[in-house]
Amino acid sequence: MAAARRPRIAITGIGAVSGYGAGVETLWRGLLSGVSAIREITRFDPGRHRTRSASEVPAEAVPPPPFRGASLAGGVALAALAEALAGAGLPAGFAGREAGVYFGCSTGGTFETERFHEELTGGGGRPRLHWLVSHQTSGPGDAVARACGATGPVTTISSACASATLALGGALDDLATGAVDVAVTGGADALCELTFAGFNSLRAVDPVACRPFRAGREGMTIGEGAAILILEREEDARRRGARPLARLLGAGASCDAHHMTAPDPSGQGIRRAIEATLADAGVPPGRIDFVNAHGTGTPLNDAAEAAALAMVFGERLARLPVTSTKGAIGHFLGSAGAVEAVATVLCLGARLVHPTPGGGEVDPAGPVDLVLGAPRPLPAGAVALSTNFAFGGSNGAVVLAGVAEEEG
Amino acid sequence: MSAPVLVTGLGWIGPHGVGAGELSAALAAGRPQLAEVDRGGGLHRPAGARLAGLVPADRLAAEVPAALARRMSYPSRLAVAATRAALADAGLVEKEPGFATTAIVMATAYGPVRITEQLLDAILRQGPEQASPSLFTESVASAPASQMALFCRALGPNLTLTQRKAGPLLALAEGARLIARGLADRVLVGAVDELTPLLHALLDRFRFLARPGAAGGEAARPFDRRRAGAIATEGAAVAVLESPAAAAARGARVRARLLGAWGAFDPSAPPLGWGREPARLAAAARRGLARYGLAPDAVDRVVASASGSPGGDRLEAGLLRALFAGGPPPVLAPKGTLGEFGGGLLAAAVLAAGGDASWPTAGFGEPDPDLAVVPHDGAPLRAPRLVLASAVAAAGGAAWAVLSPP
Repeated sequence: MAAARRPRIAITGIGAVSGYGAGVETLWRGLLSGVSAIREITRFDPGRHRTRSASEVPAEAVPPPPFRGASLAGGVALAALAEALAGAGLPAGFAGREAGVYFGCSTGGTFETERFHEELTGGGGRPRLHWLVSHQTSGPGDAVARACGATGPVTTISSACASATLALGGALDDLATGAVDVAVTGGADALCELTFAGFNSLRAVDPVACRPFRAGREGMTIGEGAAILILEREEDARRRGARPLARLLGAGASCDAHHMTAPDPSGQGIRRAIEATLADAGVPPGRIDFVNAHGTGTPLNDAAEAAALAMVFGERLARLPVTSTKGAIGHFLGSAGAVEAVATVLCLGARLVHPTPGGGEVDPAGPVDLVLGAPRPLPAGAVALSTNFAFGGSNGAVVLAGVAEEEG
Repeated sequence: MSAPVLVTGLGWIGPHGVGAGELSAALAAGRPQLAEVDRGGGLHRPAGARLAGLVPADRLAAEVPAALARRMSYPSRLAVAATRAALADAGLVEKEPGFATTAIVMATAYGPVRITEQLLDAILRQGPEQASPSLFTESVASAPASQMALFCRALGPNLTLTQRKAGPLLALAEGARLIARGLADRVLVGAVDELTPLLHALLDRFRFLARPGAAGGEAARPFDRRRAGAIATEGAAVAVLESPAAAAARGARVRARLLGAWGAFDPSAPPLGWGREPARLAAAARRGLARYGLAPDAVDRVVASASGSPGGDRLEAGLLRALFAGGPPPVLAPKGTLGEFGGGLLAAAVLAAGGDASWPTAGFGEPDPDLAVVPHDGAPLRAPRLVLASAVAAAGGAAWAVLSPP
């Protein structure tokens, strides 16, 4: 359904668990500080790996497993869900309203599967099966659906790093067409050795901390955590007295079909995803007030993204604020689109674009107006673009808008 | 979904062979194609499952020769083989200009298992520096969908769903959605899963599989009183969805019309078990039909996901009884022949809507009075007007699709 005929879709609740700790207030304080949550890994021995840093959820913010076999990813997803539902003022079960879950996840219970594999190959007897109960990437989304009593469609997208962004498109459409009344959307992923070693094998990890869009950047930093957004038709939300935090205006996607890991260096695939998103939202490029970029900090990705942004925004890119939440909390992989949507909602609500941590000058070969040091002010009712791209060239983007105070 | 989309091609690779023709023949014959699984890892139950539906290596190699298969995981090769078959069935040639607006939506239950096993072994036992970058690239669930896009240079949205047995029908819903939203005018929708000895052993230990010592022996027996579990199967299925305008523009042959697809969830289901509320799922199925202007009594054929699972078949039978007040129309249960692989259900539903829909139910012999659903016995049936494909998954997911003849 095109934006012109689509009912307004409001975001009425958000929740997050990140490297800064539990809760969106904690996330926002961390983002505003300009100090990243990237540290030496404690979850496993980083000494065996080429690099040693990640953005881990602090131990005190990891909730106890809700059941035997629950994954860490599922646990933080449930914590984020509880916060988002409370913020939205919605009870579990949604008082009879039809709710769907639209989730993104890349690693599922891989961290726990590694424990199984250690027992399987360690010669210490038969491995315990409970490690595998939450192995599948649908596990965190299913756990969220079970906890909130969703009875509508429940879908987990596992399209690597674009997963949660792509999931937002399904949520938007099912609300617009009336298939559901409430969309619980988000993502969760946990740090694991497979992913950490895998990205290191690609030489795609910065040895210290990622430096999105900087000259001399050396790669990404892996993060972990969960984020949930509660979406409703704005008319329904206002009828029950809820005030929208922001609006989801549109979503779009494309595929590079170029290479299994490297983005199309021309940026054309990313450009098509962004243009599809802007068209879906009914928003011209000139109306975008800032970009929360995919911005991983890998040399190839940031260059392709800068090229795409230049094609979409032209000369205006030189004064269009760009930030990368990944610079602060690392790359959440399949759930990146969720936590970056939450960060974008926080920016729109506070009318501030958070800065991008990481040292060095902005890359003159792919220049963007990167928000550095201090937050950058935004106008009331600002409009933002948030992007995420994945292995295999799957590109996703969403457009979010703030709600001006006079709108209530 | 505002208007029906058209199914203009179907590709499949599985234990019985390659292509819609061989799939149709296999379903008509009602003979499972099973192979012994390597139990040398020692993780299977001593009296546990031994059989599975495995893709013949020579058939896959013929479809995806070595030069094309380079750097592809096994599930990526399966997906590309099914894609080739689907494009040929649709009269399409890869990389033609129409793929600029072609999207891909694939479902997988387990993702690339073999490569994940290899990577874990390398990283945890030999050290992280042993991780292979090419293996890691193929270890993500979306690798087959990405390889499909590279194969035919499909530039539209590229999504992979991981919602267990419900995934393939949810992929149909997502594909139709992309066309309705104008984000694509053609979508390759399908499912892919591989089966390794370790995965087979784990499914056996979790007691999902039929076993030799069970009353009905080691066979998939959908809705049968003696059912004791599924037969795990690997393969890939790909359907070509097109907008009516896109199909008309190239004069495409139409296999079926997809009228709608949707999902639901039963939150009473535990993480590895079956839900307990078939009436709730039936209500969701009824609401979905109503959204497309349909009522249950318009459905004259059901393609069920029953695979011989004691709990799963019970849940699906309860759902069908609750949905069809006067008893369900003829129920086809293709997993008796094809085994437990969601892509088989998707492909069978397309064939059923095209009129090829009188298959016997392999493995069925004794009705279960508790289920009160007797699947079709293979007697000739007249072509259906409206086919309901039903998928009920462990952990709570469910999905449906309604298809009609061209």
